[in-house]
Amino acid sequence: MLVFLGKRLAFMALTMLAVSILLFLLLEVNGDAVAVKVLGPYTTQEQRALWLTANGYDRPLHVRYAEWLGDILRGDFGQSIRFRVPVSEVLWPRLANTAILGAVTFGVMIPLALVLGVLAGMREGSRLDRSISVGSIVTTSIPEFASAVLVTFLFVFWLGWLPGTSSMNDGFAWRELVLPVTVLVLYGFGYIARMTRASMAEVMQTPYIRTAILKGLPYRQVILRHALRNALIAPFTVIMLQINWLLSGVIVVEFFFAYKGFGALLLEASLNQDIYLIQACAMVAVFVAVATQTIADIGYTYLNPRIRFA
Amino acid sequence: MTEKNDATRLDAEAVETLERVHPKLPRVAAGVEAGTVSRREFLRTATLLGLSAGAAYAMAGRLTGEPFAPAARAQSGSPAKGGTLRVSMNIKEISDPATVDWSEKGNELRHVIEPLVRISSDNVAVPHLAESWSASEDLRTWTFKLRQGVKWSNGDDFGADDVVANFVRWMDPAVGSSNYGRFSALRTSNDDGSPMLENGVVKIDDHTVEFNLRVPFLALPESMGDYPCLIAHRSFQGGNWVENPIGTGPFELVELTVGSRARYRRRESGWWGGEVFLDGIDYVDHGDDPAAPLAALASGQVDMLYRLNVEQVPAARAIPTLVLYQADTAQTGVARMKVDQAPFDDIRVRQAIQSCIDHERLLALAYQNLGTPGEDHHVSPVHPEYAAIAKPTQDYDRARALLAEAGYGNGLQIQIDCVAQPTWEPNTSQALVEMLRPAGIDLAVNIMPGGTYWDRWTTTPFGFTSWTHRPLGTQVLSLAYRSGVPWNESSYSNPDFDALLDEAEATLDVEERRAIMEELQRMLQADAVIVQPYWRSIATASSRAVQGYAHHPAEEHHFEQVWLSQG
Repeated sequence: MLVFLGKRLAFMALTMLAVSILLFLLLEVNGDAVAVKVLGPYTTQEQRALWLTANGYDRPLHVRYAEWLGDILRGDFGQSIRFRVPVSEVLWPRLANTAILGAVTFGVMIPLALVLGVLAGMREGSRLDRSISVGSIVTTSIPEFASAVLVTFLFVFWLGWLPGTSSMNDGFAWRELVLPVTVLVLYGFGYIARMTRASMAEVMQTPYIRTAILKGLPYRQVILRHALRNALIAPFTVIMLQINWLLSGVIVVEFFFAYKGFGALLLEASLNQDIYLIQACAMVAVFVAVATQTIADIGYTYLNPRIRFA
Repeated sequence: MTEKNDATRLDAEAVETLERVHPKLPRVAAGVEAGTVSRREFLRTATLLGLSAGAAYAMAGRLTGEPFAPAARAQSGSPAKGGTLRVSMNIKEISDPATVDWSEKGNELRHVIEPLVRISSDNVAVPHLAESWSASEDLRTWTFKLRQGVKWSNGDDFGADDVVANFVRWMDPAVGSSNYGRFSALRTSNDDGSPMLENGVVKIDDHTVEFNLRVPFLALPESMGDYPCLIAHRSFQGGNWVENPIGTGPFELVELTVGSRARYRRRESGWWGGEVFLDGIDYVDHGDDPAAPLAALASGQVDMLYRLNVEQVPAARAIPTLVLYQADTAQTGVARMKVDQAPFDDIRVRQAIQSCIDHERLLALAYQNLGTPGEDHHVSPVHPEYAAIAKPTQDYDRARALLAEAGYGNGLQIQIDCVAQPTWEPNTSQALVEMLRPAGIDLAVNIMPGGTYWDRWTTTPFGFTSWTHRPLGTQVLSLAYRSGVPWNESSYSNPDFDALLDEAEATLDVEERRAIMEELQRMLQADAVIVQPYWRSIATASSRAVQGYAHHPAEEHHFEQVWLSQG
């Protein structure tokens, strides 16, 4: 197990390294372009040249890369051009905000999706199964930008029940989380529910379930003891992948509801060509992607002994 | 004293007052009575030359025979003190007030630091930190009396030293302030990099400053009302203003976070201008999605919007709890061509593009008819010196002939850069595509985020640029079409135009100035530098609680008279 863990972590580090090289090559090789972004478009060639020298851009590429990587490892991402403060000062609070949004979304979405999926999968083809399936397909096929407009129209402009934006200006407010979470859950739960249903339906047809039922175990016990654990393996992977989806999927929702999170930050950074902020956001996004994948692999092994001992 | 009154509705004393302010004023007053000069133009000229706003309004009332009516302000009941006004607006960085280049940045600053002259919401220059001013007859020497008893928030007295220090900074080309072009009359020459005249700005005493100009400059006071002309404390010499925001204004800055929020509270030591009703101001940044601010206003998260986009006006009208404000302005957008870059260096190409345009149709297509059709010369009917000249008309035969002559008989492929937001800009660019097609011009629209576009707005060969309102017709011409100035995005360079513009800026009499303006307008039209689709009206909205707000043509926020009704 330890060897397996070590392998996974090494692979993770390697992936991050490769991405960092790509990122560096894409954004930093052309020093002139960096100077223009940092100093602004109205600067003279002399000013840019001075800046490039002062910031060590005339040194060999591998030296610059090593230094750049070292800075990032120490959490120093440089100075944000748009916000005029160190990148880390903007990045971490925004990431925390998205973590809150993500956690609440997952806290609602996962139980909902699993329960619905299990209910639907238990009796394939039943009326309950059909209504859950149709419902989840419909909500999943409506993109976030459309459902955001819809729920805003309903709950903000028409009924007047909820606040229209979620900037959390006067501290954390649950009320302001309702709409963004609703939109994310509406879009995301169907997929997990469908995966759970398929997995559950498959398990329900296996010989060991039939045996369990035939030997007279209470139905409830069959489901909870024997079916669930086996049925949850596939949804688990999907759920871990959803974390990735969430990190980019929140861009639309955060932008729409003016939620000050990581997605909106990523968008702002790219719209304003805030080069150091873009680098930091990209590294964070990659880290989350690789980390969730690793956790998924480990968790999968735990859930499925056949993989563990293979 | 027996007097021969030019203006019969004014008594001798009033005429004498006018004469004392400037020898030409009694004649302007007579013009108002005769109907050749508008009331607004009289107000503008009189206050611009140093008559106090109160006296000017009173005289205008007597001249026109109408009682003085203050600028329309939405208000009911008597002002109540207290409350924080919450406004949705983008919060941009404002490290240096001298280089401010957005109205939003101006708003972030102007509650704390103030201009010498303020342009009121009905487009009249009103003394602010300056108490009065007078000009020599040749309009080259201006004396500004500064308001006495104005205190900086750090306890210092406001005075001539502050004004001189700001002008010295603005006129240093290394600072990069747009004031460098705005006050080019203060420089030794019009050349790029030329320094300020040695005696350009002189401190006469603690509360008097004298300006000595190279050339006559009519709009000197009005130029001081533009948003980069807010007066910072004399100690500010660069660095980050936000870290030590000393001001003379009614509010002080509590917190400013770019992209998020700016908070102000009423100055405890009091404001020179009198009572201020609001406890504070709270700006909230809702990002670049225009739907978010409206949703915030509708659900009571903010009291007011910075701006309501034209396509949101119908939706906002449908919400009964909102109040809508509208202002006719000289705001516009121009599709400007870089006259020194192919294919636009060929005037026939530019004229062909102009010939394809139906301005009224553009206004209807892209701006819901909320405005006035443009005439491709960037002088607005709301400007006092606007001359009505022949309007450009759509003529595809002419366009095709010009293109064939220029060697593009088989079609021309061009691209226009424009910003993604606000949407009227890409919408107008898209409408241009359809309009140019029949002449064989294949226009591609390159829509880009604001940040990207503003990186290249002065360099792209063909770009759609929005221009804000300025009170005088000469002002934008001077900022955008004079040879070599930083904001000359088209690289238009015409010595005759520059000379004539100098002349217009030196002419006090509106009628005389209009005659020169007519020439300038024709010149710009004929040289085919821009396609100017329309002048747009602007709008915003607030909740019913907001009282005493008037929407400003340049979207300036003046909040010292604004109050919130309770309940």
